[in-house]
Amino acid sequence: MRRSLPAVVVVVVGLLLLVDFVLINPTVAALASGALELVVLLAAAAALAGAATLVLRHWTDLAERRRDPLGSGILLAGFAVMLLAGFYPGSSGASDPAVRWLVAALLAPLIAALFAMLFVFLLIAARRGIALRPRQTAVMLAAAAVVIVLLVPIGGQLGDSLAALAGWAMNVPIGGVFRGLLIGVAVLTAVHAARILISVEGADE
Amino acid sequence: MSEAGAAPPSAGRRYGSMSRPRGAALWWPVLLVALSIAILAGGAVPGGALQMANPDTARVSEVDEAFDALPDDALVLVAMDGDLGTYPEIRPAVRAALDDLLRRGAALAFVSVSVEGRAIAVAELARLGAGGVDADGLLDLGYVSGVEAGLVRLVTDALPPGAEVGMASTIEERGGGLSAFDLFLLVGGTDVGPRTWVEQVGTRLPQKPMMGLAPTFAQPELAPYLRTSQLVALLATVRDDAAYVESVGDDAEAENPADRLPSAAAMLLGMLVALVVLAQALGGALPRLRGPAPRPAVEDDEA
Repeated sequence: MRRSLPAVVVVVVGLLLLVDFVLINPTVAALASGALELVVLLAAAAALAGAATLVLRHWTDLAERRRDPLGSGILLAGFAVMLLAGFYPGSSGASDPAVRWLVAALLAPLIAALFAMLFVFLLIAARRGIALRPRQTAVMLAAAAVVIVLLVPIGGQLGDSLAALAGWAMNVPIGGVFRGLLIGVAVLTAVHAARILISVEGADE
Repeated sequence: MSEAGAAPPSAGRRYGSMSRPRGAALWWPVLLVALSIAILAGGAVPGGALQMANPDTARVSEVDEAFDALPDDALVLVAMDGDLGTYPEIRPAVRAALDDLLRRGAALAFVSVSVEGRAIAVAELARLGAGGVDADGLLDLGYVSGVEAGLVRLVTDALPPGAEVGMASTIEERGGGLSAFDLFLLVGGTDVGPRTWVEQVGTRLPQKPMMGLAPTFAQPELAPYLRTSQLVALLATVRDDAAYVESVGDDAEAENPADRLPSAAAMLLGMLVALVVLAQALGGALPRLRGPAPRPAVEDDEA
């Protein structure tokens, strides 16, 4: 069976790490450590390449006035400001006060604001979901309403009872579903990895 | 074919013309009134009408036990992998935990395998440094790329190049890897969190205690690890975070607003708004639920 080079590399590295996990052997450990170093370097290189591609793409969009030139300009300006703060002569890099200020005063509030909009978007999605698939969405929304009621932060005996019920709901029905999902995902991942390692699956597709 | 195409509008008219069950429109105002009464009644008890902290302090006790079990001059690894969107939810608890550990004499080393976690770690290190924490009690292990691969590499080699003095020398004496630490405090976010650490590091260093601190959405995912003792403690709900923060100090006295717990009144208001919207949506759907299942009007991914 013909296999491509990437598939062979995947199988070899996978087996190497698996053997290193199971056996205590200095030679295998050194080889596995080398492979891990390579992966760490590749991940860093991929991040840099991704950033470079992003800049090139938006630079081209801006220069040729395509898609969203204003958005591209803002993105490139933000990129430049952050790079300048981290690389100016005498800068201490990621821990430089200018970088910390940019992150704390601009980036963090912007991202937090985007996350905060989830509240609105989820409620809109709930109303649209009811219109599209009333039965399924009704079950989901009813469960969501019950969980919200259980989590209401009130004091007194009622608050204690609600909190106890919330703990039970999180640990038993919701926790059970998540545990089942985790086990299922783990089993499928293991099966998929085994199929690649023993060459059952066409890893070179 | 024409029947399928005409189904959504005709179905909508048919279900829309059906009378709603008696009292269906009243249940959500009744719920709001009940909650209001509960809040007013709660005002008579100590602690006030609104109580953010979870009255069940089991999670807080587990954190205390994990910290109490630390040896003198313990080395604690803070795996800071929160993200900027969800970190505000857990920030008061994270800061309370860091302060608690420092009060107990522990030394803290920060490491991140996510970019946003690195930004948060840098900010927290600067905050602690500005707060007068002894420089020997803090160590920045930096950012390690590769996530899972980086974590596995950290098991045997956690020290960045050039780190040789203070806490770094102690870590070097203990082998230079993650086994040098007495506790892992795992701060999670949407991408990387305690689960990744348990999978990649916990399986290689099963004897090392790990404590998780994550946003609420991660709680169902992480709770099984607490049951199996792969995590010795877990704070993953706002109410557990509040209970922990209140157990280690009065957060109302915190000078920095970011160190304070979220407002219970604001949270309650948001919950009530959500309940009203959900109740309205459900109430409006009740007549349609009684009839045959309508065909999806716009999307049909089952086709």
